Amino acid sequence: MRDLTDDDRSGALLRRVFNSEYGFLVVVLTLLVVGLSLAATNFLTPSNAVAILHQSSLVLIVAVGMTFLLITAEVDISVGANLAFASCVVMDVINQTNSVALGALAGIAFGAGVGLINAFVTLVLKVNSLIGTIAMMMALQGGVYLYTREAVQNHHQIEIFPKIATGFILGIPVPVVFAAVVALAGWFYLARTRGGRLVFASGANEAAVRLSGYSPARVKFGAFVMTGALVGLAAVILASLLNAGQPTAGTGFELTVIAAVLLGGTSLMGGRGTILGTVLAVLILKIIDNGIIMLRWNQDLQIIVPGLVLILALYMDQKKRGPAHG
Amino acid sequence: MPLSANPALPQNMLSRTLRKVAGQSEIALFVSLVLIVIVFSSLSEYFLTTRNLTNVLGQASIILLIATGVAVALIGGEVDISVGSLVAAVALPLVEIMNATGSLSLGILGALVLGLMIGAINGYLSAYLRINSLIVTLGMLFLIRGGVYLWTNKRAQADTAYLDSFFAIGNGKAFGIMPIPAIIAGVIVLMVMFIMHKTRFGRRIYAAGGSAEVARMVGYDVRRIKFICFLISSTLATIAGILLASRLGAAVHTSGQGYEFQAIAAVVLGGVSLAGGRGNILGAALGVLILAYLSNGLGMINAPTEWQLVITGIVIVAAVSLDSYKKSKE
Amino acid sequence: MKSTHVLSAVAIAAALSGTTALAQDGEGLRIGYIVNYATHEWYQNVILGMEQRAEQLGHTVEVIDANLDMARQVAAAEDFMAREMDVIIMTPVNEEGVVPILRRARADGVPIVLEGNPAPGMQTVVAICDYDTGYLAGVAAGEALGADAEGIRVMNVGLPLLSATILRSRGFMDGLQTVIPSAEMVHDLDGGGNPDRSQEVSAAALAADSDIDVIYGINDSSALGALQAWRAAGLPEDDLMVVGTGAEGLAFLNEMQTEGPYQLEAAMFPEKIGFTAIDTAVALFNGEEVPEYVISPTTALTLGEVSSYYSYDGESREIQWDAVNALEAPEQCMMYASDL
Repeated sequence: MRDLTDDDRSGALLRRVFNSEYGFLVVVLTLLVVGLSLAATNFLTPSNAVAILHQSSLVLIVAVGMTFLLITAEVDISVGANLAFASCVVMDVINQTNSVALGALAGIAFGAGVGLINAFVTLVLKVNSLIGTIAMMMALQGGVYLYTREAVQNHHQIEIFPKIATGFILGIPVPVVFAAVVALAGWFYLARTRGGRLVFASGANEAAVRLSGYSPARVKFGAFVMTGALVGLAAVILASLLNAGQPTAGTGFELTVIAAVLLGGTSLMGGRGTILGTVLAVLILKIIDNGIIMLRWNQDLQIIVPGLVLILALYMDQKKRGPAHG
Repeated sequence: MPLSANPALPQNMLSRTLRKVAGQSEIALFVSLVLIVIVFSSLSEYFLTTRNLTNVLGQASIILLIATGVAVALIGGEVDISVGSLVAAVALPLVEIMNATGSLSLGILGALVLGLMIGAINGYLSAYLRINSLIVTLGMLFLIRGGVYLWTNKRAQADTAYLDSFFAIGNGKAFGIMPIPAIIAGVIVLMVMFIMHKTRFGRRIYAAGGSAEVARMVGYDVRRIKFICFLISSTLATIAGILLASRLGAAVHTSGQGYEFQAIAAVVLGGVSLAGGRGNILGAALGVLILAYLSNGLGMINAPTEWQLVITGIVIVAAVSLDSYKKSKE
Repeated sequence: MKSTHVLSAVAIAAALSGTTALAQDGEGLRIGYIVNYATHEWYQNVILGMEQRAEQLGHTVEVIDANLDMARQVAAAEDFMAREMDVIIMTPVNEEGVVPILRRARADGVPIVLEGNPAPGMQTVVAICDYDTGYLAGVAAGEALGADAEGIRVMNVGLPLLSATILRSRGFMDGLQTVIPSAEMVHDLDGGGNPDRSQEVSAAALAADSDIDVIYGINDSSALGALQAWRAAGLPEDDLMVVGTGAEGLAFLNEMQTEGPYQLEAAMFPEKIGFTAIDTAVALFNGEEVPEYVISPTTALTLGEVSSYYSYDGESREIQWDAVNALEAPEQCMMYASDL
């Protein structure tokens, strides 16, 4: 209740902006861009914009899937380990078959397969998805070293392969195109289709969904598999970017992704969230990351600042909605 | 597991007494632990030795303390994953104060003050400002680790006071057999068990975690209860941090990474519910011991790390799905 | 995925039966090695060198992985002592964190050889000189660029988390500046020692200032990650020189063979370190006089020189023991972690 009287002093306009769905994120993003442009001369350049978008695209692709999952009140901690393993699969299959398409398919299939197992463990074995996917993370981290003891090198030297990560389509980096397509499709599905409404309903009120004749389990199943498949897609880009399948890659990736999705306003309790919020949040986190290097600040801040931003974002969110129950 | 699968167990005295201390799932956990010991004893001649079995108790003491704290928070309906970074952070005042003053007590005091401050921040943000505790403590996990790096400039801070008492709390053995950290952890876990299961405050923690609304209606100060849960969790993690610092003879800036996952996995394996209000400390402790002896046994037979990771993952999923299967049948 | 699980189960059973048989093999000394993290190519090659040398001498090596966890490392030492190993070799996860366990091993009468970094209270350490390694590579890079090169600008993809890697970066700049005094470090980055993070921080740094002549990576992954960032930014590769460190596994060989900008490798011969560690462990067990610092040689290699030390067929590499054993190690390092 205290919260309601607290913000009486702040201006009405400011409050309106903050209280709008993305207001807070847009304000933060604007402040960041303006501040960094003033502080670092090289910040607002096309090459840096490309670098930031590039870095954002991997996180964003997986974050779209994670947004779906969190809306259905589930989570996948195994995405980082899955990314590393899938990137090895991609490179290995291309080496074996000399076909980029087969390698990409194998990577996406592997990622989706992991999502399938996560779904099975969560929905059939009824293991809480936080624990089930932590266990999956451990299994994958161990498993990838059983699969390959070292980074899978590029033995095929197919010319188009590096272009997946470093090429341009109409002046836009290829990974950014992938990320944009994934985000647009995710946005459209969530915001504009009946299937999207079911996703929200499955997280907010399972019983109601069941009563109306739909299966929340099926929706969640889809979200798990989709997240896994998107991890596979990200793994194709990662393998191309590093020109190798890296079993050590992806450490901490899951935390970055989840932090971005939560910062974007998706609720951990399910039932609430937007793709646009996720997109803005990924950009904010990556711009902070980039800005710290641009300003030549101590890179240790790269782990402190996101932590602060996350807590602050949730605090603002909480204030906006007033005291929640629970 | 055989015990819990047999509903027609004779109602003799022994089983009734056992039931008072431990539920069916704790008995099942204990049987699993015994099975692990039997299996590895047959695979390695060095496993079933007093020295090895007590060694593992010393090794497990750190995760045991952290896991007990995490279990209290979970039972209270909250989660605390900042503990992995906290373990590294509290070692800093401990070692620096000890180096400066030559006093172990002052060092421990410094560590406890920092640990309680972190717990209070976690508790205030989660219980009073009502920010989801997973996020608060996730943020704190990053923040504290970054803070440790900034403070130490990423160099381990060595203990240069060389106090025998400090060496002993993590490395000593009572009567030449039982590691002192195991005794410290054991006593503290017993105290927490007493609080959780024998006091009115313990029952309030269960009530707050089971249903905050009902607890509030009964007139409990749910926010205060949850706040104290965070203090308990960070205090136990602080003690773990002190023992670890003694075992390492230094405040190591990278220590404790991933301990939050290990602790949560052990606690859930021990039957504590992530949804709050369910589970007990004995189960959590057994969960820790099962994972500790499993890891030790796999090391004894030279199983490579990748297998240890895979097997631990499978054991956790198997245990938890078995548990949820049992609950769904009830 | 499913078939890997089945395979896994079969392999577990095989591993369980196989390894216990090995442990009971009574021949020669039983040497325990506690590795920092066995999943890294570097340490796999250290272990390979140990196994090859131990086999030659009729000893057995058993390995426990600390997996970057200090507490696990201490537990592993306890386990080895409980298993009555004759001698223990240990790569500290953090050199400050092994002091108590060294003290306990001494009380127990178990000799310990450290690998990597010295620690207070140790008997002996087998190590390369990190500063010297960087220094030699810096000198070689300077000579390749030519002493009259002007305004050489360096991007260092470092790892300030560890003193060893700080030493490498510092050695590289110092070595380079002995040949080209005007060379300067433009970017000093924390690449986390892994390729994805190195790629990410390098991309940002290159966006800020891409006028770079030399990329130095404190390991192969850092150098390769930075090179990929260079490529992703679409920068010209003709005038760039990339210098990696370690010769850890196959990645640098693969890249060097394309004859692109990756021209120089500060080789540290992990197999040779394993080889030397076994010799030192045996000597220590036999009560021989062992120096406090046993140094394993390093050298800077161009593509032309690599092949005399490693044969490489694209799938695996084989160390050429004669060539590596002929390399001379210095009596002591130019700079130690304690000098930082």
